[in-house]
Amino acid sequence: MASRIFAALTRDEGSSDTDESPRREEPSVRTDGGTVTDGASDATTAAVGDDASALGRLRRSRFLESLPFWGPPALLVFFFVYGAIAWNFVISLTGWEGLGSPDYSSLSTEMYARLLSDPSFTAAFRNTLVLLLAFTVLSLILGLLVAILVDQKIRIENTFRTIYLLPMSLSFVVTAIFWSWMYNPTNGLINEALRGVGLDAFTQAWLADPQFKLAAIIFALMWQFSGYCMVVYLAGLRAIPESQYEAARIDGASTIKLYWRVIIPQLRASTMSAAVVLVVFALKAFDFLFVLFGVNPGQSADILSVMMYRVAFDRIQWAYGSAVAMVLFAMTLGVIGPYLYVQYRRGEL
Amino acid sequence: MTRDSATDDADRLTRRHYVAGAGTLATVGIAGCSGGGDGGDGSDGGDGSDGSDGSDGGDGSDGGSSELEIIHWWTAGGEQDAYQALLDGFREEHPDVEIVDNPAPGGAGSAIDTVVQNRVIDGNPPSTFQIWPGQALTPYTDEDLLEDIGDSVWDEEMRDAYLGDVVDLARPAGNLVAVPINIHRLNNLFYNVSVLDDAGVDPTDIDGPEGLLGVFETLDAETDVTPMAHQTQSPWSSLQLWESIFIGEQGVDAFQTLIGGDVSGLEDEVRSALQLLADYLQYIPEDAGSISWDQGNNDVISGDAAFLHQGDWAAGQYRSAEDFEFESDWDMVPFPGTSGVYQSVIDSFVFPTGNPSPEATEQFLNYAGSVDAQERFNPVKGSIPPRTDVPMDEFGDFLSRQFEDFQNSNTQPPAIAHGTAVAPAIQSSLQEVFANFNGSQDVDAAYDGIVNSF
Amino acid sequence: MSAADRLQTTIAGLDRSRVALYAVLLALVAFYLAPLESGFMTAFKTPDGFRTTTPFALPPLGEFTLSAWGTAFDRLSNGLLNSALMAVPATVLSALFGSLAAYGLTNLSWRGQIGVLVLFVAGVFIPYQAVLVPLTQFWSFVDLGGRIPLALVADNEGLINLSITHVAYGIPICTVLFRSYYATIDDEMLEAARLDGASAATIYRRIILPLSVPIFAVTLIYQFTQIWNDLLFAIVLVSNPSNQVVTVALNQLQGSFVQQFNLQMAGAFVAALPTLVVYVLFGEQFAKGVAGDS
Repeated sequence: MASRIFAALTRDEGSSDTDESPRREEPSVRTDGGTVTDGASDATTAAVGDDASALGRLRRSRFLESLPFWGPPALLVFFFVYGAIAWNFVISLTGWEGLGSPDYSSLSTEMYARLLSDPSFTAAFRNTLVLLLAFTVLSLILGLLVAILVDQKIRIENTFRTIYLLPMSLSFVVTAIFWSWMYNPTNGLINEALRGVGLDAFTQAWLADPQFKLAAIIFALMWQFSGYCMVVYLAGLRAIPESQYEAARIDGASTIKLYWRVIIPQLRASTMSAAVVLVVFALKAFDFLFVLFGVNPGQSADILSVMMYRVAFDRIQWAYGSAVAMVLFAMTLGVIGPYLYVQYRRGEL
Repeated sequence: MTRDSATDDADRLTRRHYVAGAGTLATVGIAGCSGGGDGGDGSDGGDGSDGSDGSDGGDGSDGGSSELEIIHWWTAGGEQDAYQALLDGFREEHPDVEIVDNPAPGGAGSAIDTVVQNRVIDGNPPSTFQIWPGQALTPYTDEDLLEDIGDSVWDEEMRDAYLGDVVDLARPAGNLVAVPINIHRLNNLFYNVSVLDDAGVDPTDIDGPEGLLGVFETLDAETDVTPMAHQTQSPWSSLQLWESIFIGEQGVDAFQTLIGGDVSGLEDEVRSALQLLADYLQYIPEDAGSISWDQGNNDVISGDAAFLHQGDWAAGQYRSAEDFEFESDWDMVPFPGTSGVYQSVIDSFVFPTGNPSPEATEQFLNYAGSVDAQERFNPVKGSIPPRTDVPMDEFGDFLSRQFEDFQNSNTQPPAIAHGTAVAPAIQSSLQEVFANFNGSQDVDAAYDGIVNSF
Repeated sequence: MSAADRLQTTIAGLDRSRVALYAVLLALVAFYLAPLESGFMTAFKTPDGFRTTTPFALPPLGEFTLSAWGTAFDRLSNGLLNSALMAVPATVLSALFGSLAAYGLTNLSWRGQIGVLVLFVAGVFIPYQAVLVPLTQFWSFVDLGGRIPLALVADNEGLINLSITHVAYGIPICTVLFRSYYATIDDEMLEAARLDGASAATIYRRIILPLSVPIFAVTLIYQFTQIWNDLLFAIVLVSNPSNQVVTVALNQLQGSFVQQFNLQMAGAFVAALPTLVVYVLFGEQFAKGVAGDS
């Protein structure tokens, strides 16, 4: 054992996988004196305690040294996030419903089979995809346009930027209440504005009509988060060296061409990171819909996160709700998996 | 009792309740703190409530608390007044019991379900909570989470005084577990008298649900009032209207078969009621999707709408409206085709197991089942008592007539939209079906949805 | 941005295009502020006022009232207090844990940390729904109030559970925010300190922490708004009404009185007030926090 610890201690910055074996976690910074004594046969680790020589410190595994810092938070995260997801998966394999306890003795994929034949699920799944796509794309486009405008060396840029980003600081509960008022068919600003410019024919019961419900939600969410895209794109635009603008100008490119051909292609990283975060917000849009519609948005606007809550907490069909949650989780993985991989490949994780 | 103090102005009325609600909230906060304190240090023996139960002072760990925590959703309007009247009566009989009032607003069930379920699952139930009797109790009775109060509360005298059907709703699994406190009628068709007079419509002479559609068509063609006030923001109003249409067309026996789960055997009947509901929905306010039922009802009061299908809690709004009198300004007929039917919406209180205050809870349930409680509570609530021996002097003309109708009714079926008829999971699923139907009016999809719900 | 500036000069009719630019920017201001502005105006109107006037118009004389604000504040004050009691410790703790984790995973680099890091980063994106049912099971099993015989714990069990949950789910994003900042810290400086005999803990306390003040500001602001704004965890984990947080109280405010738009709007502002104040005071840092997880 002593020799293994010694091997780990002398290995440069923990280059081996075995560093992650649990027994390595035992000696922390405080106990290094003891372990070093174990390996006292090595002359270079003779120094002990807080006054240890620089050489001795350098040889210590960074893994052990860093463990006390990231260990406790990692434990919390692993337990609450990954442990809970695993537990959720197991629950989704039971038939648990009602106010009793789950029965873990007989597990089956019955709940997933049930999902496939449930028209509510089909509708919620479709709406979730529509919401994800439309909301993400529209917010990115609006955010980019606003970012380009803000990037034109304007006065009081900070003020504009602060205002555009303001909705994002608000709770979904708050924004949902604002938008339910905006969309009110008789007194709401949207219809009043339409009537004001003579477009009476276009006034709608935005949040009641199944034709417009989802679009109305997407529009409101876009209002809330396009400012975020603007901030991300602005950072991206500022990172592009000005020589590129120059070069394009010398080539005689028009402004539109300049952005379309030269600038926007370089914003791929910004687009990607903004898109991932938008997708996550879209998946979490539960709060917004719940405030507007309760647990029953209707099939025209139902999304998986609302369906999960309805099934699990309104119908107390826990296993079925967990199965819906697993599908939602899989969708999230489908989006962030590739993102994480690309980031990893670029060394930007 | 507090009726007189209710202002006539609907807006002011509501505002007064906000303030009252806020006051209650604050009280809860304070009471909650001190309450937990008592439980925490186990000093509850000190109050020595009444000593009739030896288990009280003995073990400080459980049982003996004289704090009665009640979770309910009566947070607004006449409901809140009625609840306060009930508490006042209870306090008079049991001044030693401290009531911890925990309102869970959000209307008919939604918020309270989650709150109560969580606490019951956590093994931390309140002393008692408001719940619909009948099938709504089954998630709790399935897991034996409600105490059998057949002996402790339901004595011989009480059983004799209650109507048989109501007693049955209090024992969905055989044991008596709930104390019903009121009965609302659901199959009412309220109307504005002068609006119908002007249009030459005689509401007592409408030939079934189909005939009502004809009246709507007439009103729509010949007047500029909205034929029927209705809300489609939440699904329950359409669900209960569909129930009334179904009973009006097919009768109560078919309805009992339906809630028994045999939907496909009644396919034509179910579809017919859905189709008629879809037709009705052509005659509701344009903003029905963004209003609440009481907002719609304001149109009946103002004469902008002719009819309203709603439980008789709607009458409370008429009573508090200015210059709007029963029979001369508003009136009600049973929904066409349901004249011998008194479809019941009932509230009850229960005794959860692992009770923090068994003695006080038992006292409260005993009181809730008494003549005194029901005589105080129901006139204000706008409901009739489930006991048959409650004096009706305080109930006013409308409720007295309802009570008469009730006694003359042939049958008192339970209600889907209000929990008594089907298990909560089925009810929730049907709510979803009608949420969709409100938007799409797609009879085929709704029929499939109803089949799948059971 | 002299590049963009010079670009401007190429466009004919410079002044006209600048005017158009500012017009569009102002139109966008209107777009982003309209819901707030009309909500704000509505909050000062009587029911007659908001039914008869355009939402964004000032309340007409005689239709002006502060009663909605008073009522909203009364109804939400308990929620505001609970939210503060829950959000402040959760924010501080998750930021602290995030800082520690980021230090351990950035400045003390070791092979294989990428695996841990991936799990942290992925944790940022987990939909809460995927853990809701186990969480309710877990907290019901833990039963803090029942296990710890302290009135303080029993009375605030819901808030404590909620707070701890938010800490755990806040750690990933905090770690990512701190990590992007710590990655810019000069390694040679840390190496020098190490050669001087400073332990990892000393380096964190003496060098990293003092350097972290700006990123702490960003993280605290961002995390505070996230936790304050959450509804889902609160409705699922808090069952005692006296522990209700402000988002839940606000939702019930609109649930129980659907048509009182003035009250709803006033309530929305009251509930949003802390985040709005934080945002107005520290908008710049908030923007950094937002862009930080990119």
